[in-house]
Amino acid sequence: MGINRRNFFKVAAVTGAGACAALSTPAQASGPALPADPGYGMLNDSTRCIGCKACQTACKKVNELPSEGTLEDGGALYDSPRALSDSTYTLIKMHRDEQSGEATFVKQQCMHCLDPACKSACLVGAFVKEKEGAVTWDGGKCMGCRYCMVACPYNVPQFEWHKAIPDISKCTLCHDTRLTKGKPTACAEVCPADAITFGHRDELLRMARARIAAHPEKYDPHVYGENEVGGTNVLYLTKPKVGFASLGLPAFGYIAPPRLTESIQHGVFKYFIPPVAIYAALGGILAFNQRRNKLKGGTEHE
Amino acid sequence: MSKAVALRGKFWTPNVALLVFFMAGAAVFSYFRFFHGFGSVTNLNPNYPMGMWIAFDVACGVALAAGGFTTCLIVEIFGKHKYHALLRPAILTAFIGYMLVGMAVMFDLGRWYYIWHALIYWNGNSVLFEVAWCVMLYLSVLAVENVPAVVEEYKDKVSLPGLLGRFNGLVNAFLQVADKVMGKVAVFFVLGGVVLSFGHQSSLGTMMLIAPYKLHELWFTPWSPLLFLMSAIAVGPSMVVFEASLATYFFNRKSEIHLIGDFAKFIPWFLGAFLLARFGDLAWRGALAAAFVPGTYAYAFWVEMALFIIPCAALMNKGVRFHGVKLFLAACSVILGVVVYRFNVFLIGMDMGPGWNYFPSVGEFAVTFGFVAFGVFLYKLAVNYLPILEQQH
Repeated sequence: MGINRRNFFKVAAVTGAGACAALSTPAQASGPALPADPGYGMLNDSTRCIGCKACQTACKKVNELPSEGTLEDGGALYDSPRALSDSTYTLIKMHRDEQSGEATFVKQQCMHCLDPACKSACLVGAFVKEKEGAVTWDGGKCMGCRYCMVACPYNVPQFEWHKAIPDISKCTLCHDTRLTKGKPTACAEVCPADAITFGHRDELLRMARARIAAHPEKYDPHVYGENEVGGTNVLYLTKPKVGFASLGLPAFGYIAPPRLTESIQHGVFKYFIPPVAIYAALGGILAFNQRRNKLKGGTEHE
Repeated sequence: MSKAVALRGKFWTPNVALLVFFMAGAAVFSYFRFFHGFGSVTNLNPNYPMGMWIAFDVACGVALAAGGFTTCLIVEIFGKHKYHALLRPAILTAFIGYMLVGMAVMFDLGRWYYIWHALIYWNGNSVLFEVAWCVMLYLSVLAVENVPAVVEEYKDKVSLPGLLGRFNGLVNAFLQVADKVMGKVAVFFVLGGVVLSFGHQSSLGTMMLIAPYKLHELWFTPWSPLLFLMSAIAVGPSMVVFEASLATYFFNRKSEIHLIGDFAKFIPWFLGAFLLARFGDLAWRGALAAAFVPGTYAYAFWVEMALFIIPCAALMNKGVRFHGVKLFLAACSVILGVVVYRFNVFLIGMDMGPGWNYFPSVGEFAVTFGFVAFGVFLYKLAVNYLPILEQQH
């Protein structure tokens, strides 16, 4: 073994420095690889929503989802589900702002993030950010680990708890059923109050700002989803007296959650240098100690 | 130096019957889980999609199997061969631990029959992808590291029962080849095992960082992977002490206190380093104040800290280290501390949104107990028929 004390310390110093450099990278978040064209999305104007739930029905129809019994006995009464579930991809609920006491209806569904946490989290890559803008799920890959459900800041992906072979289910922005056939989302098409507008995300942003500018007394000046969690393809408007947080749209940061985890992962594995460096350093230490034990005449270990 | 030998004691004892009882209980609930869905067994719900099977069976399972790589690190890499007697049991229990983690993952995957998809569909951005690969590779490394024990006991003595007897020659040939090869390549596996452990022990700490708006600030830190790794290194020797103490008690062996008491001197160093990093991180992020806001998060945090700080201080004292019961209790405290730390990150410290709560169901507990029982069962089987524990005179 041609390794002596001096060489060993050299090796250890170099590899140690390399490992430190790699570990320090998480501090600077690397830029997201966002598509140049964000694709299509929806603008949900909660000030216009009348709470008729036509969108919920249209969603069930186009996705062929069963109605949900919301009573304890499981009877499928003419009633609305309480929360998103494996058979409810979108939901209208009334929310009351606790401070002002004002209430409004708002629609809930997948936000179709520009940099989706579910997509980053999925170990088999079952989630795809389609070029049309939708975040879709591939049942041919998914192994049902439910890490996407933990990762989603809005708790959107749902799991079929009562099936032996469960799917992950969520709003698809009608990607396969309508979008790729040149049609808008079913919920947007059916909305009688023009509260859901389907369109290109850039166009929707312009439209949202125009509405705010035209009626500043009617709108909160913020467009939710423009930057939250790195930006979403579904955007929201609200009344001045009903905060977004009271609508279930918390004031999330503007950096997409995957930026931190991915920069840690990619830092730790940068060109495989850190693991190889640690391997080499440990090998050096092992060789050094074996030689030292041998020189000591140590026969402790045969 | 004495040699490891198979115990060859009586296998079917009342204690083993108890293990079988727990395993049978788990089997009953697993029928419902696999044929009637999670809803028939677990309390998992849309906001709590991961429960005790992930927090305990997987996250704690991996951490508590850290005895394998930490003992390898101390004995093989840092050349402390006086602890050689602790190596084989540590590597065996690590192998059993990781096997159970693999099985627990199968239980927790909704589409368990697609588990092999991790091999062919790669998402390098996913933290879980890295965990899955490191665990798979490390389980293979641990299998290889356990081969010498099998070779030592069964080379040229292969005698399989019944019809399997016709494979005696083939198995023996394999053992002979393994015997020749192992001496030359073992060192590469030792190093590989440690690097792989560094990888996934830390990545488990990165896992919940994908949910910055759910994990409480007492645990949400970009240094979480380092803290997970450091706590795993601290719990490794504690597990070795824990298992050695139980083996001494249950197999009526002579006390190994001179050895494990000496080995336990590493624990306060590793634990102290971890605690320094933990509090340093909290102070640096300005999150320490949150530990003094009364509520579940602060209580959970202080329970975790107490379970670490008390044994850390106690084990600095020689009188504690070389006292069988006190040493065992200190090791238990470190182990419980790591369990609480993992639960805090995976469940208790996670604010999963309004409308839902989670506490494990009877079925979830039964399956987890079944796994633990199966692990102990496998351990007894292995030490009975393989040279794992040192001969005592």
